[in-house]
Amino acid sequence: MGTTPAVETAPGTERDRGRCQTGIAGLDDILGGGIPKGNLVLIAGTVGTGKTTLTLEYLVRGAERGDRSIFLSMTESTAKLVQNLSSFEFFRPDLLQNGSLVLVDVPAIYEKLGLDREEMSAEEVDLLLRTIRDLVAELGAKRLVLDSVTGVSYRIRKEERIRDFILRLGQAMSQLDCTTLLVSEIGPTPGRYSLSGVEEAIVDGVILLGNTRRQGDLLRVIQVIKMRGTPHSRAQYVIELTPIGLLMAPHLKGGGHEST
Amino acid sequence: MPEAPAILGIPEFDERVGKFLPKGWVALLEGQSGAGTQLLAKQFAHAGQGAAPVYYYTTDERPEEIRRTFGDYGWDPDGVSIANLSEAYHAQVLDRELEVWRVRERGLRYAEIARTGSGAPPPTAVRPTAQVLSDLSGLETRFRLVLDSLDFLFEVLDEEDLLAVVRQIRRRAQALGGEALLVLRADVQERKLVGLLEDLADLHLELRAVEENGSYRPELTVRKVRNHPELTRRVALEASVGGLQVAH
Repeated sequence: MGTTPAVETAPGTERDRGRCQTGIAGLDDILGGGIPKGNLVLIAGTVGTGKTTLTLEYLVRGAERGDRSIFLSMTESTAKLVQNLSSFEFFRPDLLQNGSLVLVDVPAIYEKLGLDREEMSAEEVDLLLRTIRDLVAELGAKRLVLDSVTGVSYRIRKEERIRDFILRLGQAMSQLDCTTLLVSEIGPTPGRYSLSGVEEAIVDGVILLGNTRRQGDLLRVIQVIKMRGTPHSRAQYVIELTPIGLLMAPHLKGGGHEST
Repeated sequence: MPEAPAILGIPEFDERVGKFLPKGWVALLEGQSGAGTQLLAKQFAHAGQGAAPVYYYTTDERPEEIRRTFGDYGWDPDGVSIANLSEAYHAQVLDRELEVWRVRERGLRYAEIARTGSGAPPPTAVRPTAQVLSDLSGLETRFRLVLDSLDFLFEVLDEEDLLAVVRQIRRRAQALGGEALLVLRADVQERKLVGLLEDLADLHLELRAVEENGSYRPELTVRKVRNHPELTRRVALEASVGGLQVAH
C-alpha cells in the first residue's frame, strides 16, 4: 500500500472475539486483521463489481485455514459456481471433496421446504431462518455467504419481516461464531447498500464494491463503509480480479473520475 | 320415424331435446350431491356406446368403481375408455405436500439438500388435463366424452386455463360432431365462472334431490337448450334398474 488511509473506529466497541481473516490480500489490513468473528456483513455492489468472486475467495481462504465454509447460492447453480471457481488458481477442488467448502443451491432448500409462494409468510421466513441456522450448526460452519440477500428479501417483501430476518440471522450466526457475508445487489442510487434500504441498518458491517471511471478505464473499487468492533479505513481501494484472487491497491486521487 | 338420438339415455328427454341440439355440442350438468349426478354421467356415457368412442374422465372415482357401477345397471363398460385425472396429481402434489410438512416439522438435514443435486431439473408439474387434451387432439371421428368433475379442475387450474380446456372440448366437439358432458357440483363454485361455463354450454342441466313425502327423488331441470328457450322445463326422475328415468 502506497498511502496510509484514514482509520476510523466504528461506534459501539464490543468485546474482541477475534478476527476472521478474509485471506484477501489487503482487505484484512484495512480491517485491522480481519472481520470481527461472528459479524454479519453486507457485501453491496452493482452488477459485475466482483461480489460473488470476493465472497467465494473469502470462503476458499477460510476453508484452507480449517474454517468450514458454506456458500448459499440463490441465482447460480452450484455446478456453474464450481465451473467459475475452476478458473481461479486459489480454488482447490479437494476443499469441496473433503467437505470443507460446501456449496448449496437455495432453490433446493425452497423446494424441500415447499416455499413456492411469491411472498413468504412470517412462518415461512422463520422456517428459512431455522433451516439456515440448523445447516450451519450441523456442519459446524464458521463462514457463511448468502448470495444474495437481495433475492431472499425480494421473496420476504415486507420491510418489517426483512428487518426481523436479518436481525435474527445475525444473532443466530453470532451465537454459532459464524462470520457471515450477505451479498446485496444495489442500484445506482448513492448512499444505499440494499434495494430495500433495510439491511444496511441492521448488519454489523458494510463493504461496498463499485466501479469508477478514470481516464477512460472502468476500475473496480472497494470501500469499507462500516464494521462494528474494529477500527477500519474508509478509503476507497482499487481492486483487480486476477486468477490468483482479488488484489487491492489504494485508489490514488487525481485525474477525472466518477464512481458508480 | 327415425329413432331419437341418445342424449342422456332417458327416452322422453332425448326425444324432446335431441333433435334441437346442434351437430357437436357440450352439456353442463350441475348436480347436487346425492341427487344421482355421477349415475347420470355414467348413463350418458352408456347411451353413447356403439355410436362413437366414449371417454370417461373421472376425478373422484377409481376406474374399477366406475366399471362396477356400469355392471350394477347392466351396462357394458368395456367400450368405455376410463381415466382418472386426479391420481397423478395426488401422487405428485399431495405426496410432496406431505413430504414438505414432514421436513418442516423435523428440520432439513444437509444430506437431504445435497441429494436434491445441483442443477437437477425441478419436478414436472402435473397437468391434470393433459390426457384429455391429448386424447382430443388424436380424435378424427365423433366422440362422446364425460368429465366428472370440473370441480377438481377449479381447484388446480386458474380460471383462464380451466376455460381454455372447456373451449378446446367444445371446439373439438363442434369440429367432429362430438358430445361432451361436463359435470359440476351445484352451489359450490364461484357464480361468475359458472356463468361463463353456462355460456359455453349448448345444454345446461341441473339435477337436484327434491323432498317428497319424506323421501328424496331426483329432479332434472333443463335450464338451457341453445336457441330453444321453449324447451326449458323441470322433469321429475326416478331411479330404476336401468338408471335414471322420467317418473310416471
